[in-house]
Amino acid sequence: MSVAAYGGRLKSKKRRDRMMNILTFVVIIVFTILALFPIWWIFRTSLMTNAEIYKYPPSLIPQNWLFSNYEKTLEIFKFWKYLWNTMVIIVPSCLAGTFTATLCGYAFARLRFRGKNLIWALCVGSMLLPAMVTLIPLYIGWTRGLGLNDSYWPLILPYFCGGGAFNIFLIRQFIMSIPRELDQAATIDGAGYFRILFSIIMPAIRPAMIVVALFIFIGLWNDLLQQMIYINSSDKYTIALGLTNFRGQLKSDWSLTMAATCLSFAPGVIFYLIGQRYFVEGITLTGLKN
Amino acid sequence: MEIVNKPQKRRPRIFSAEARVAYICLIPAFLGLIFLTYLPLLGVLGISLTNWTGLKSPEFIGFDNYVKIFTTDPYIKDSIIATIYFAILSVIGSMIYSLFIALLLNRKIPARGFFRAVFYVPYVLPAAAIYVGWSWLYEGNFGFFNYLLSELGLNKILFIADSSYVVPSLSLISVWLAGNLIVIFLAGLQNVPVVYHEAAEMDGANGWQRFCHITLPCMTPIIFYNLLMSLIANLQVVTPALALTNGGPGNSSRFMTYLMYDQAFVNYKLGYACATTFIIFAILAGFTAILFKTSNKWIYNEGGDDK
Repeated sequence: MSVAAYGGRLKSKKRRDRMMNILTFVVIIVFTILALFPIWWIFRTSLMTNAEIYKYPPSLIPQNWLFSNYEKTLEIFKFWKYLWNTMVIIVPSCLAGTFTATLCGYAFARLRFRGKNLIWALCVGSMLLPAMVTLIPLYIGWTRGLGLNDSYWPLILPYFCGGGAFNIFLIRQFIMSIPRELDQAATIDGAGYFRILFSIIMPAIRPAMIVVALFIFIGLWNDLLQQMIYINSSDKYTIALGLTNFRGQLKSDWSLTMAATCLSFAPGVIFYLIGQRYFVEGITLTGLKN
Repeated sequence: MEIVNKPQKRRPRIFSAEARVAYICLIPAFLGLIFLTYLPLLGVLGISLTNWTGLKSPEFIGFDNYVKIFTTDPYIKDSIIATIYFAILSVIGSMIYSLFIALLLNRKIPARGFFRAVFYVPYVLPAAAIYVGWSWLYEGNFGFFNYLLSELGLNKILFIADSSYVVPSLSLISVWLAGNLIVIFLAGLQNVPVVYHEAAEMDGANGWQRFCHITLPCMTPIIFYNLLMSLIANLQVVTPALALTNGGPGNSSRFMTYLMYDQAFVNYKLGYACATTFIIFAILAGFTAILFKTSNKWIYNEGGDDK
């Protein structure tokens, strides 16, 4: 191939590449609009009067943005209380789950002890067990065995037990990727195993710990079934329970229902924007470490 | 003592300290494995052999519950069909959607972080709120989708209130929620060696050929992981039924986990519900096993890349 012909091919390839990039951009914008559309439709409904909602053809943008709908909603939908209740469950679960998962992950990654392989096998085995299988016996155990009716403890306490095998697995993988020389140097300096864990391992695996906390957060945030089973009284409702109930009460008042929905969306979006980097990193981690 | 024979071990005294620390660290895991995993698993089996309703003390009735489920239960068949139907639609839909979006995001486009956030954000919204929000889009008279249909001159559809549309409608929501799959696919795509693409391009392979012969084979382990995760998650689907449909209309969205919930926590037939649980577990395990069995046929392992 002559140099000129090669150059020509390069040029045409460049042009084709630019065309493809523009096409990609257009397609991605179309899909972005499609993906965001439901959220926008919900939001725009929350700012409308009911008359405006039922108008034909429906308008994409509310005529006057009725933020007063939110005030009305907040009178019936006790959002702040629900948010507080949800946080009462989530915060201790995230902290305890992350901490205990780190302890267990450390033991599996670094320490030698009798029965390690057996315990590890049991741990990995429990990852394959779908969560719904143990639901009924656990319910019986918590409510009958320990008398924890209408309580948050059955939702929180499991996270004091390692935060789930998957999270232990994640932490273990991460610790194993840290060079052992660091520990050995500290051992020579006379540091004990806990000392190594707290002052060397933990700072080094901070991203993984944040990821585990985020996973626990999302798990609880998305959960409805367990909250429905364990929580009965309405002043203990979480956001998910409160909203489901609110919808039942106001079957046809769509603008208020949508306002409540938007309120429930808000904390998740805020958390996501704060922790976006870790979310993406963390999910990537789970996909590639397996 | 086999432990003492380990080569690195010089002073057993320190070793025992190491083991002691390990056992202390593992106390949470021990508790969790025993009381939250394996005892409850035995519990499901045990309770499923009784007629416990939560009031009287349970009586052992052998395999009666299982016999009843397979012979007289009015819901189980519809429930299994609805769940598998939902799972297949959701898994196929979300795999194609998320791989497609990931391929787009993997190209050089401006503001990639923003676009990635857009597709991921549905995943961090509380599931209950998502279903309530979408129920308005699906509303039978004034919902957005019916507006679209009437603009196109088609008849209105009740969507989640129509037994033949409820499962596809709910699947569409779960496809929309597939943001985490997109992120994993994207990470996988970024790991596909660029040299392969360059080499193929030199040989004159076009974009489609490179996708089929380089990108897809390199991505098979990631595809398998996503397939497995989304299959297990979608077969356990319950939130839309709890938040929205209550299993209806008719039995058309009485998903298996919802069926179990209904038996145990609405009708208090604990023994019977445990038998149902065990059958669901068997179905889940079956699907997982099939996926694993077929996996070595289509997963491409780059030799030596795995540790």
